[in-house]
Amino acid sequence: MNPAFLKKIKRNDRIAAWIITIGGMAVIVSVVLILLLITKVSLPLFYSPDSQLYTSFQLPGDKTGKQVFTLGMDEYLETGYIVDSGGLVRFFNVTDGSGLDNYQFISESGSQSLVSIQRYGRLNHVLHWNDGSVTIEQVKFSPFFDENNNNLRSIQHSIERQAAFAAPATGRSEQVVARINEEDRQVRVDLLQNGTLRVSLTEEVESLFGAAELVEATHQLENTAVGQITTMILSNDGIQLYAGTNQGEILRWNLSDIETPLLEEVTQAFSDHREITALNLVFGDVSLIVGDNQGGLTTWFPVRNSDTGWKLTLIHELTGHAEPIRSVSPTPHDKSVVSFASGGVQISHMTSERFLVGIDPPEKISHYALTTRGDGMMTLTEQGQLSSWKLDIPHPEISFKTLFGKVWYEGYSEPAWAWQSSAGTDDYEPKLSLSPLIFGTLKGTFYAMLFAVPLAIFGAIYTSQFARPKFKGVVKPAVEVMAAIPTVIIGFLAALWLAPLIERSLGSMFLSLILIPAALMISIALWQAARKIEPLKRVERGFEFLAIAPVIIIAVAIAAVLGPGLENWFFAGDLKQWLFTEMGTRYDPRNCIIIAFAMGFAVIPIIFTISEDALSNVPPSLKAASLALGASRWQTVWRVILPSASPGIFAGTMIGFGRAVGETMIVLMATGNTAIMDLSIFNGMRPLSANIAVEIPEAPVDGSLYRTLFLTAVILFVMTFIVNTVAEIVRQRLRAKYGRF
Amino acid sequence: MTKMKYMNRYWRVGEPMVWLSGAALAVTLLTAIVLLAVIMMNGLGVFWPSELQELRLKDGSQVVGKLIRSEPTSDNSGLRRQYKIANRDLYGLDFRWIDEDQIVSEQTPDQLLVLERVEHGDFYGVLKGLDAGTGNALSATVDDLSEALGMVESELGQLSELEDKLKAASYRIEQIRLKTLKLDFQNVAENDPDRQKLNDEKQVFSQKFGNLVELQTKRTEKARQARAIFVAANGQESEIVLADIFQVYAPNQMSISDKVVFYLKKLAELFVGEPRESNTEGGLFPAIFGTVMLIFVMSLFSFPLGVVAAIYLREYAKDGILVRIVRIAVNNLAGIPSIVYGIFGLGFFIYGIGHGIDSFFFPERLPTPTFGTGGLLWASLTLALLTVPVVIVSTEEALGAIPREMREGSYALGSTKFQTLVRILLPMASPGIMTGLILAMARAAGEVAPLMITGVVKLAPALPIDGNFPFFHLDRKFMHLGFHIYDIGFQSPNVEAAKPMVFVTTLLLVLIVLIMSSVAIHLRNKMKKRYTFGTF
Amino acid sequence: MTTSRIENPIIQVNDLKFYYPGNARALHGIDLSFPEKQVTALIGPSGCGKSTLIRCFNRMNDLIDGCRIEGEVILEGESIYDQNTDIIELRRKVGMVFQKSNPFPKSIYENVIYGLRIAGEKDKKLFDERVETSLKAAALWDEVKDRLQESALGLSGGQMQRLCIARAIAVNPKVILMDEPCSALDPKSTARVEETIKELRDDYTIIIVTHNMQQAARVSDHTAFLFEGNLIEYGLTDQLFVKPQNQQTEDYITGRFG
Repeated sequence: MNPAFLKKIKRNDRIAAWIITIGGMAVIVSVVLILLLITKVSLPLFYSPDSQLYTSFQLPGDKTGKQVFTLGMDEYLETGYIVDSGGLVRFFNVTDGSGLDNYQFISESGSQSLVSIQRYGRLNHVLHWNDGSVTIEQVKFSPFFDENNNNLRSIQHSIERQAAFAAPATGRSEQVVARINEEDRQVRVDLLQNGTLRVSLTEEVESLFGAAELVEATHQLENTAVGQITTMILSNDGIQLYAGTNQGEILRWNLSDIETPLLEEVTQAFSDHREITALNLVFGDVSLIVGDNQGGLTTWFPVRNSDTGWKLTLIHELTGHAEPIRSVSPTPHDKSVVSFASGGVQISHMTSERFLVGIDPPEKISHYALTTRGDGMMTLTEQGQLSSWKLDIPHPEISFKTLFGKVWYEGYSEPAWAWQSSAGTDDYEPKLSLSPLIFGTLKGTFYAMLFAVPLAIFGAIYTSQFARPKFKGVVKPAVEVMAAIPTVIIGFLAALWLAPLIERSLGSMFLSLILIPAALMISIALWQAARKIEPLKRVERGFEFLAIAPVIIIAVAIAAVLGPGLENWFFAGDLKQWLFTEMGTRYDPRNCIIIAFAMGFAVIPIIFTISEDALSNVPPSLKAASLALGASRWQTVWRVILPSASPGIFAGTMIGFGRAVGETMIVLMATGNTAIMDLSIFNGMRPLSANIAVEIPEAPVDGSLYRTLFLTAVILFVMTFIVNTVAEIVRQRLRAKYGRF
Repeated sequence: MTKMKYMNRYWRVGEPMVWLSGAALAVTLLTAIVLLAVIMMNGLGVFWPSELQELRLKDGSQVVGKLIRSEPTSDNSGLRRQYKIANRDLYGLDFRWIDEDQIVSEQTPDQLLVLERVEHGDFYGVLKGLDAGTGNALSATVDDLSEALGMVESELGQLSELEDKLKAASYRIEQIRLKTLKLDFQNVAENDPDRQKLNDEKQVFSQKFGNLVELQTKRTEKARQARAIFVAANGQESEIVLADIFQVYAPNQMSISDKVVFYLKKLAELFVGEPRESNTEGGLFPAIFGTVMLIFVMSLFSFPLGVVAAIYLREYAKDGILVRIVRIAVNNLAGIPSIVYGIFGLGFFIYGIGHGIDSFFFPERLPTPTFGTGGLLWASLTLALLTVPVVIVSTEEALGAIPREMREGSYALGSTKFQTLVRILLPMASPGIMTGLILAMARAAGEVAPLMITGVVKLAPALPIDGNFPFFHLDRKFMHLGFHIYDIGFQSPNVEAAKPMVFVTTLLLVLIVLIMSSVAIHLRNKMKKRYTFGTF
Repeated sequence: MTTSRIENPIIQVNDLKFYYPGNARALHGIDLSFPEKQVTALIGPSGCGKSTLIRCFNRMNDLIDGCRIEGEVILEGESIYDQNTDIIELRRKVGMVFQKSNPFPKSIYENVIYGLRIAGEKDKKLFDERVETSLKAAALWDEVKDRLQESALGLSGGQMQRLCIARAIAVNPKVILMDEPCSALDPKSTARVEETIKELRDDYTIIIVTHNMQQAARVSDHTAFLFEGNLIEYGLTDQLFVKPQNQQTEDYITGRFG
């Protein structure tokens, strides 16, 4: 042999071996990487939040000795400001503490002395002046891109007065809350020195002639509480007023009617009469945050009760403090709650009830502020040390409980499993419970399997054991080809052809469920009797399924004819109506019956093929031995062949189950995609797979919804992986036993 | 007592159970037959130009329509019929149910015409007059109408040439815009010669574009001058621009052979035509093309990868626990829900690799994504991943079915492993490999869920292949038959009107998939036979 | 025990031990020499290691993962288990015919020239010539000369086996190993194959494994009897069958066991 050629082929062989080994392993490894990758995307859901000290310095230029009232900063943690009791706003650079410019707040009457400042919304400040007047001022930060300087970004700040309330005649009040809403409705509530509450409203009303007219009103608010009011909060639209007392009561007024403000309820929130020390409203103004003097932190909202009407109800208990709570505030972008006690500042999420981060520097904090995006915080200690913190709170609303447990969402009358990922507004509380989806998946799969398993297994038994080989050669490939029918087609037919058909002839469908078995039993019995007659004895066996098909068709035809009459007779003409009135179940046109048929049809070929293989691979010797002992053909199958093939049948069922669990298009098209947990066969559902298909196009990348959807993919993956692995192991064993591929 | 015994024996022997299992098989096959029959019945008849009936109703009104079906009324007192009455712009609805006892008379007058229009679906009515652009309508015959239509058509043909030129120009302008963006990104000075050149080019093309648009407007105006007036069944007159008429025919005058020719023409249009009326009418060409491209690109990936992986597993890997586990895993992957592959494609290909490519190669275009969004390439890769297990499993089975003696015989003659593989094993396994590939392709043709999140769209603005460099645009979004069904069946505003098209698409897809998988299964069975009852 | 040493053997086996995966020893130290251009038969009951032994001569056992070999096999003065031995060259020198005939699913012509093709040969004339000589040597030429381009799978069992022999001869090996070549054949085909073997003995060294003692007696010049992985007796066929030295050999050839 030519040595050069030998060298060449050996080199080729080595190269090929390398390529194939590397390529083969790479393919397999990369395919296995899928799980890791989708897990990697969903994993940050469970990362714990983190806070990091960013900068820290002594408050700059504090030489006037005036007390700091509030502080704040922009979204980028670049510019901060403090406001002192003299109404002086001092802007400074957050990174190094160097002072920028100053601004002086002045009241309408020219006063420069403040009593208190309240912050709300996006850097709105309610300034309470010592002459009793109130102004609302907004600090605005806007990023500015300098085109002349390489598009460098800088933050520009400005201050804008939103509203001014004149001083009342009664002089300075104990406490004041004030809001102005988008329609310029101005509301001011005063807690007077004598403990009574007074509300002043200004509203623009359109008069009869179409001209705008300013209406003003002042009322003393009704108050039936036992204790002294300690704190109050007004919703940002100025409609809902809440107050807490030193006896643990919460009062709720409705100020929507300018003429008659209404005390809607007084609730004894705490049976131990603990003092309520802080109130605020969670972003969205639905839930009330309550802090008490024992450090407890709770959220409440009114729940409708058939006896007592709307009543404030304890919804979530969040991680509290050891000391009395001094103030609480919402985060400006989600449903988190910031609470402040002498021990430090904490952030918890309302829905998930997760404790997110605590800021607890060695020196006592006197003031704090959160950025509008919630990713940064500034604290000021009593010693004047100012620190800024970077917060990393990736997915505060996700916890094991919100994903799988019952959660009491805002506006719900009780805790519930719910999936509703988004709504039109920013202040929506996302409901990301996977339970209804998992339930939907299992429900759909269950009904589909109920339909498919008996048909597939018995069909496989018949094909492998009783049918003539000629038929077997046709039936088996036919069923295998069935498996290739795209599910989008099955789903489409189920939704647009089968669903209306069944809705129209529900009675006929149920009737045929009775008629088909009955017709089968009768015709079989008749045939058994007829076979005793001599000429029929010689009729060959192995044609049963052809002979029985007309019986089934006739039974269905009879049911179709009789169905409407029967419906008339028993259910007053309309079975759906009857179901609704008598049974209390709503008939959903796209329901589990449709799913059972459609998805069942999709999995039958899989179960059938694998079961048939298993049954056919049982050695013929076993069958012969049993028949030789005088067993009938059914006995042989039932007692000998079925037990030997049962692992294969089990494997087929498992693989069919896995397919049904992951099926997307059929359920997407043929169910209503409503995420409800209801066992009724007349309802639809929303399974995991369809949920992914529906929601992922709308999910912002790397957001909570996006990652949750990846998590559902992981769950689907794991579910099918377990089921398939079990099936595969069983199948390999069976193969080893009978030695065929 | 004896009766009891008899019954016991009856059940023990179990003959009824045999029959029941036969019944199970019968039900399974019947459902499959019903499914196919429904698709056939609804799909085949869509293009048949069935006759138009003119009904006179008891209330004195007149209806013209095509009979779709009849069924018992809800109170079972008689039959009711569904008619397609078309004229969506006049009646609002395309379909109408009429109780049979309301019908006084029915006729099939010859002069009734069907107009296929560019907008608003079909029009059923009678020709009243023709207005060749002069402003006053003259009475005319159907022949006059077809003559006028022929003239309009030639004008429209010129217009579509213009359209192509316009497209080419706007493509060039877009390219120039992207190049300018790149220069901006690289901070190239304003007076750079490249930039100057681009600006000049842009000037030229913008000028050209403007001229073309002007010309187009003028020509369109001219082409749209000719109109015809038709009378609908309810006596309403409707003036229709001839350029909006796609085709006119009088079904009641057509002979069977005319109808067959018409049917075949419509079929041809289905394959080569563009969709109209948000996909509910016209052709399927872009969807067919997209499906074929998808399958093709997918095969380019999944076929070699699957075969290499299978060869590795069967011929090169040392048999042991690891290989067993890998084999289980591979079998398993075939059972992973397709939507999981889809979400993987989204997370890994689109947001991972695609974004990477964008920020590396096309940073100037950001935030407009180029590869960082769904497209043909990513959908194909996702499907390739989905179908790789199918190819692996069938290739492995085919290799495993080759008797050991074949390998030994080859080695004994002094061939290397690679030579044995190439000269003996792969040719012998080729039917099995083909089976796997065809099954994979059939699956890709029918799979929709993963495509929905990796780049399939309702209406793609351009095909993935065109005359513009680099000819293959794998980053483009595409259309797909399966998604077409989902989309027009479920997302279109007028489901009833869309149904015929869905059924046609369904029929086409079913045929493609069934033929492919039948061939695959036939091949596989043939191969099985060869090794089981071989000549040894 | 006999250890026959022959002058100028073509294959010399020295203390050959063979272990299957899991350390199951199949050969316990064989010493054996094979004379050139003669037929040597290996006989013994099933599982005695005779097939294992001849598969050591063309390193066919290398295909088994995890097997181990000790001792040496010397072919024409060179150890075939040497590091430098080229396995491909070796297999071209030592051809093999298997128990089950294994023609490739190609034409008869392609089957015969397979060995040449994989060696990079492209000369069409050489192919034609070699096909004819090989098929003639395997006594198949007359039967198939008119259908060389037809599939080899269409041949009868005996023809297939002779085709395999022709395929082995086509590369001009020194030694042809035959592993029970007739076990799957009917008597008539067996006779044809045996004829072929007899005709080949002048040009090739043939080592044939058989469990059929009559066959060994008919075709071979020397016979070795193996039992449970040991070489029990080795000698001229005539002597071994007529006057076995060893009791076990005698028991085996007289049919007391096996």
